[in-house]
Amino acid sequence: MGNNAGSGEWVLLCAIVNFGAAGKVMSVLRQQGVTGGTIFLGKGTVRNHLLEILDLNDIRKEIVLSVTLSSLADRALEALNKQLTLYKPHHGIAFTIPVKGQIGIHHPEAPDQSEERRGGNKPMHNAIFVIVDKGKAEEVVEAAKSVGARGATVINARGSGIHETQKLFAMSIEPEKEIVMILAQTELTDAIVSKVSEELQIEEPGKGIMFILNVDKTYGLYD
Amino acid sequence: MNVLFQKFKEVLFAVTPVTVIVLILNFTLTPLDYHLLVRFLLGAFLIIIGLTIFLFGVEIGITPIGNLMGNALTRSNKVWFVGLAGLILGFFISIAEPDLHILAGQVQTVTAGVLSQTSIVVVVSVGIAVLLTLGLFRIVYNLPLNKMLTLIYLLILILGIFSSSGFIAISFDASGATTGALTVPFMLALAYGVSSLKKNGTASEEDSFGLVGVASAGAILAVIVMSLFSRGDELSGSLELQITQSSSIIAPFLHELPTVAGNIILALLPLLITFLFFQKFSIQLPRRAFKKIIKGLLYTFIGLVLFLTGVNAGFMDVGSLVGYRLAMLEQPWLVFLIGYILGLAVILAEPAVYVLTTQIENVTSGYVKRRIVLFALSLGVGCAVTLSMVRILIPGVHLWHFLLPGYIISISLSYVVPSLFVGIAFDAGGVASGPMTATFVLAFAQGVAEATESANVLIDGFGVIAMVALTPLIALQVLGFIYKIKSQKVGVDHG
Repeated sequence: MGNNAGSGEWVLLCAIVNFGAAGKVMSVLRQQGVTGGTIFLGKGTVRNHLLEILDLNDIRKEIVLSVTLSSLADRALEALNKQLTLYKPHHGIAFTIPVKGQIGIHHPEAPDQSEERRGGNKPMHNAIFVIVDKGKAEEVVEAAKSVGARGATVINARGSGIHETQKLFAMSIEPEKEIVMILAQTELTDAIVSKVSEELQIEEPGKGIMFILNVDKTYGLYD
Repeated sequence: MNVLFQKFKEVLFAVTPVTVIVLILNFTLTPLDYHLLVRFLLGAFLIIIGLTIFLFGVEIGITPIGNLMGNALTRSNKVWFVGLAGLILGFFISIAEPDLHILAGQVQTVTAGVLSQTSIVVVVSVGIAVLLTLGLFRIVYNLPLNKMLTLIYLLILILGIFSSSGFIAISFDASGATTGALTVPFMLALAYGVSSLKKNGTASEEDSFGLVGVASAGAILAVIVMSLFSRGDELSGSLELQITQSSSIIAPFLHELPTVAGNIILALLPLLITFLFFQKFSIQLPRRAFKKIIKGLLYTFIGLVLFLTGVNAGFMDVGSLVGYRLAMLEQPWLVFLIGYILGLAVILAEPAVYVLTTQIENVTSGYVKRRIVLFALSLGVGCAVTLSMVRILIPGVHLWHFLLPGYIISISLSYVVPSLFVGIAFDAGGVASGPMTATFVLAFAQGVAEATESANVLIDGFGVIAMVALTPLIALQVLGFIYKIKSQKVGVDHG
């Protein structure tokens, strides 16, 4: 067990859905043979002019991450798309990111070898991750939207780089951070990256970090 | 539009149960006058609209302010600064709380002026301020919550022995009265702002809760200490139950509106001023974020005014009339049963309950579900109302017969239950006793007391809030105990 390296590619399956729907995502994943997942909360944005004026455009999201075999992930994505109606606007998104290796996932059933991995096509989308100090996420989202990004998900997190370690009173501090995740078409990636990095001076030390991943398959993105 | 609609739907589900119950009672046991019923429905409508707006306001106004201040306080890394800020914030927030002024006014009446309204308000505010500060110190110095609560309640017990039973009821009620719809969200956010900086994830989760519980104990201590120094031993005086007999439907709302609006402005003012102060000297938010918070405060104001107008003008009279007519039927079990059902339903419409359950979900990443917490809270408050009815209808039963064992159980539980739930439970005690309980349930209890010969409206009215603040402590800690047992992993060998 655990030595499945030869039997298939691993992918990270990621689903971002409205608050409360993660339970459903998990049950769909289990039906498809995916063994487990990790759920956490995030914040998405809505595009609605009235709500933006009222400043009520934040919406709570749940994010499900699961590392699994790509053949299983494909089936799971199809099932998610159908059962959570991701093809309709505002119902959430799901995508996979290739993973190089994994430890600790035990699949009870052998992966279905007969199913051909469809695709092999070039990645159409990138996932851009920006990690900045708490409070800056909004600026990142604004910058990304100004050059064509459709939306973003913000996750609260903690962390510390070499520029900040502190002890206040009797507690060790890890400053609060925000992770911004933007899914963008590959053509837009460069524009978004350079705009965000320019607006937030990411290249200067202590201002945050940014990285880009290739995304295999996406569901629920619409233009 | 779905954000607005979703929130509206949530609120609708929260307010519908109590409305339906009153309507059923109207057609069966306790028929209400036509104009009263229309006022009740109008009130329910205002409550739904108001609560929706208020919750948005808390989300983008009050909570960010609390978080930012908690953060800024801790980052200062100066003991005197945290201490001073805690004292000032605690004092002004509590002195601006409208519920406290109402309670103090009633106390002045029953003590025939021995305890003046002003002195009570000031003393309670000092108590809250001191304990709020201690609560903040507890978080930054990593002291265990259960030990601190044990000490505080032990002190209350010792002082309580020397105090008269009437004052004990008042003091426990004071703790409920000071933790109103504005204070609780702010204190919750403040605690989260301080503890979210912690490196240890579990500690940061656990210490997000408990501050409200500690601070509200300050009010109990303050009033008990005060009673020891005043010579007015027993409570005398009484209060006539007033049911507005005006047959107008709109007039009571118009009459309430300016008073409520004035009160809320007063209550929001300390928050606004400290926020502006912090903004100028410490946090310096970007313009956009600053504007968003100001908008949030505006929503909070509008929402709360609509909500409280609806409650005061629409629900209060109905509550006391239902209580009165029900007790006149002379069927004690019926009063207990209806009390239980009302308790179950009313708590769902309590504004701060929503804020607390949302924060629980956020802090635990959805591990502790809102519905389950609401369910436990609801059962707890139902019991509280029933026990209060028992106390009013049966002359020999005193408040401390419930309070003493209740608090002994709560404190003992806090040593076996996961600390996260200890904090949540003691916060929920303060949360449950918000404006909805303080008006509707209290009015119901007073109505019952009015119809019962052996009971005194005002004196038996005291203590209802205390009960509502007590039972969640037990209910939620039991819930935590169940979580502890259930969350052991299955299918994995334990070492």
